[in-house]
Amino acid sequence: MSKPLKTGTEIASTPSSAGMLRRIARRPVIVGTAAFLLVLTALAAAAPLVAPYDPLEQNYAELLLGPSADHLLGTDELGRDTLSRLLYGARVSLLVAFGSVGIAMAIGVPLGLALGYFGGWWDRLGSRAIDVSEALPGILLGFAVIAILGRGLGTLMLAIGLMFCMTFARTTRAVALAEREKVYLDAARVAGLGTPEIMFRQVLPNLAGPLIVQAAMFMGAAAVVESALSFLGLGLETGVPSWGGMLSVAADEQGRQPFLAFPPGLAIIVTVLAFNVLSDGVNDVLAGGRRRPATRRRTHRRPPVAKDVTVKAPAETGTVLDVQGVTVELDTAGDPVPLVQDVWLSIRRAEVVGLVGESGSGKSMLARAVLNLLPPATRLASGSVLLDGRDIAGLPERELRKVRGCGISVVFQDPMTALSPVHTIGRQLCEPLRVHFGMSRSAARERAAELLDRVGVENPKRRLDDYPHQFSGGMAQRVAIAMALAAKPRLLIADEATSALDVTTQGQVLDLLLGLRDELDMAILMITHDLGVVAESCDRAAVMYAGQIVEVGGVRELFDGPRHPYTAALLASDPSAEAEMHRLATIPGGVPLAGEWPPGCHFANRCAFARDTCVEQPVPMTGDVRCLRAKDLTLEVMIGERH
Amino acid sequence: MRKLIAYRLVLAVPQLAAVSLLVFSLTYLVPGSPAAAILGASATPERIKEVEAQLGLDRPALERLGDWFWNLLGGDLGISYALSLPVTDLLMERMPATLSLTFGGMVVSLVIGIGLGVLAGVRSGLPDRIVGAATSVGLAIPEFWFGLVLSLLFAIELGWVPVVAYTPVTEDPSAWLRGLILPSLALGIGTAAMIARQTRTAMVQALASPYIDTLTAAGVPRRRIVLRYALKNTMVPVLATAGFSFRILLGSSFVVETVFAFPGVGGLLLTSVVGKDFPVIQGGVLLIACIVITLNLLIDVGYGLLDPKVRPQ
Repeated sequence: MSKPLKTGTEIASTPSSAGMLRRIARRPVIVGTAAFLLVLTALAAAAPLVAPYDPLEQNYAELLLGPSADHLLGTDELGRDTLSRLLYGARVSLLVAFGSVGIAMAIGVPLGLALGYFGGWWDRLGSRAIDVSEALPGILLGFAVIAILGRGLGTLMLAIGLMFCMTFARTTRAVALAEREKVYLDAARVAGLGTPEIMFRQVLPNLAGPLIVQAAMFMGAAAVVESALSFLGLGLETGVPSWGGMLSVAADEQGRQPFLAFPPGLAIIVTVLAFNVLSDGVNDVLAGGRRRPATRRRTHRRPPVAKDVTVKAPAETGTVLDVQGVTVELDTAGDPVPLVQDVWLSIRRAEVVGLVGESGSGKSMLARAVLNLLPPATRLASGSVLLDGRDIAGLPERELRKVRGCGISVVFQDPMTALSPVHTIGRQLCEPLRVHFGMSRSAARERAAELLDRVGVENPKRRLDDYPHQFSGGMAQRVAIAMALAAKPRLLIADEATSALDVTTQGQVLDLLLGLRDELDMAILMITHDLGVVAESCDRAAVMYAGQIVEVGGVRELFDGPRHPYTAALLASDPSAEAEMHRLATIPGGVPLAGEWPPGCHFANRCAFARDTCVEQPVPMTGDVRCLRAKDLTLEVMIGERH
Repeated sequence: MRKLIAYRLVLAVPQLAAVSLLVFSLTYLVPGSPAAAILGASATPERIKEVEAQLGLDRPALERLGDWFWNLLGGDLGISYALSLPVTDLLMERMPATLSLTFGGMVVSLVIGIGLGVLAGVRSGLPDRIVGAATSVGLAIPEFWFGLVLSLLFAIELGWVPVVAYTPVTEDPSAWLRGLILPSLALGIGTAAMIARQTRTAMVQALASPYIDTLTAAGVPRRRIVLRYALKNTMVPVLATAGFSFRILLGSSFVVETVFAFPGVGGLLLTSVVGKDFPVIQGGVLLIACIVITLNLLIDVGYGLLDPKVRPQ
């Protein structure tokens, strides 16, 4: 690794135990809880040396005392010192925690390994057995074991161990099964190693992490169960100090000395909390990530735009959407990283405009900025989005709601995830109708069926009650389109709306969109990486590269006479455009990542025509193209082969 | 849907059979013999033989097994050694208190768990962190200790509720409900924390799903999106945790009931464990297993209701 990533996401690398230890050591929470548990263990072990009194020594002169200098945590109903009993009680808790988890692992891990190793019927039978064992609350199993074997430390460990062993078996089985799959493909087999050998060499290291996490968690759980059983009088012999037993006394004496409940109770909570936090922490380290990036939504608002810009546009030009100088930034710990830079783009009534670019060029981010749907940690840093002359960027939520659906609507790439899987499509389709037109349930349903019919879904009335998974990809995309159209939007954004579909369906959906454009007098922003789609459906197109629009123009002009070297290269490398093309021209290099954009022309490092002046300072849009050499280049050469 | 239920019912039969077989073999696991365990170390061999004959323990295992299953079919769980009463009657007498408490705990953990989980999942800043810390503590609190503290505070210090709380629902429904409040709160705290965590995770995941964007872009108000769409998607994984919670609640109720002097199954089992009253332990284990298996079945049906993909086509 040469450079740390700027976005703050950690990449899971192959875990090495040394690296793992270092990562663990860097987390104060893990170190802190581990240290606490070590100190607790040491105190418990050294209880005879540390405890101020004999935990069994009764003193009838000092019954049920509160905290005092002599007895820091008071005394119980027989005048025994609470602090001393607490220290001795820790021995029981920790012994049982370690012992029972040890037993659970000793039973569960080999069992899980065997199930995963033998597979087949063994596995099916074993898994059913695990299921059966889960029909019982753990504590009931404990009751049964204690009834059979009688009370005692060993019984307690065994009882709790048996409660947990099946979970260990389950985890082990899962890891073993996953590794077995890999092992069969492994070249190591060919190299002459026996399967068991590979099994254990591969499985055990992979198992270590999950087992540590689970063991720590179950030690906490074991401490709770032990305290419950001791509380019920099923733990150790009467008189032996344990936290649960102390709570049992506290329950009997709660009317006379309420304080008795707190020292052992808090001791249990803190101990269990320590085990749990340790388990979570180790789990986080193993998962190699954090739960949530520590970034905020909107830290500061976009500067206001001069008002005079907003007034004149619509009536004269028939402009539906006017994107003016939009810049989107990602908030990071350091400087904000631009994702979209100073984009200007307008769309006229019923016009279809393509927005083309490679992945990572920022086109979807631009669409989200227009929709006011920017993901967390990104924000509109400057610029405005005019819809019919009205600036909708940064409108309050309530106002935006009126614009969404009937002003601007969107169709996303994957229709299967764009619809809620657990709601009928009828219900989802009715939402915009009810929200925007205040339709009654039945009226909305009727209209929804009409919409489905219009987008070409057969049997629309009946299909309203179907769920998304009951539709094919193409049909589900038609449903998504129906939903986007429900409130008769002025502008539809199709964000890679046909990319996930097969070629035939793609053509049908494009035709549908173009038909709807004429019918509803609706403009379309067609975001795609597919130049074929642009050629087939768009009036104009804008080409985006590394966060900037580099060229805008009519589709014919753009395809026949590109003026930006990137446009030309894109055309030359498009595999779908020309069947007769013999060789795929590819653009050398890749799109630079956000945050690594050069100060000058973003394309300069991949451009065959770049000069020194190109890299010196930002290149402005001149006319419809963002290239210093646009005037003196004739780019037909690059795509000449095609004609 | 009917098919799903039928399928689950068929699956439950071997599970029940396996559990009852295990339960039957319980007495054979006792070192020595149950009679010796009951009589204690000072018992003479003659006396042990006598008691064994009295309890029918001297008959061949297969014969006893046949009887056991035959009686089970008729709902007969045998006679308690200690009380000389039918085990079925003893358990049925105490089941209402246990079920009341368990369902009370379930209500508490669902309401608090889902409420806090949704809050934490929707509001990512301070509320999320507070709920995160609260659930960590909630998971670490022993239910019976929390019950003890609640009863110290509300029954003894403030005197708002009676210390001994259980009234059968058939006698006085409102007194029954009032008596359930503290015990249910105590019982539900741990599982509430579990459900809250699961709900939060599922909610965060649901809110990051593309369908949320689709609905937002269609102009649907945020609140409606969260409460109608994200929440239902969230409930699918939460249902599994809820089912798992029920089993924990049932087990913990045996401990919590002693704190509030509830006349539940836990107390009966406890005296039976101490007194080696094996028929009662066997009957109790079997009954509880039946309840858990039935509930798991309901949960699976619930899955079918929540997630259309689970329904057989």
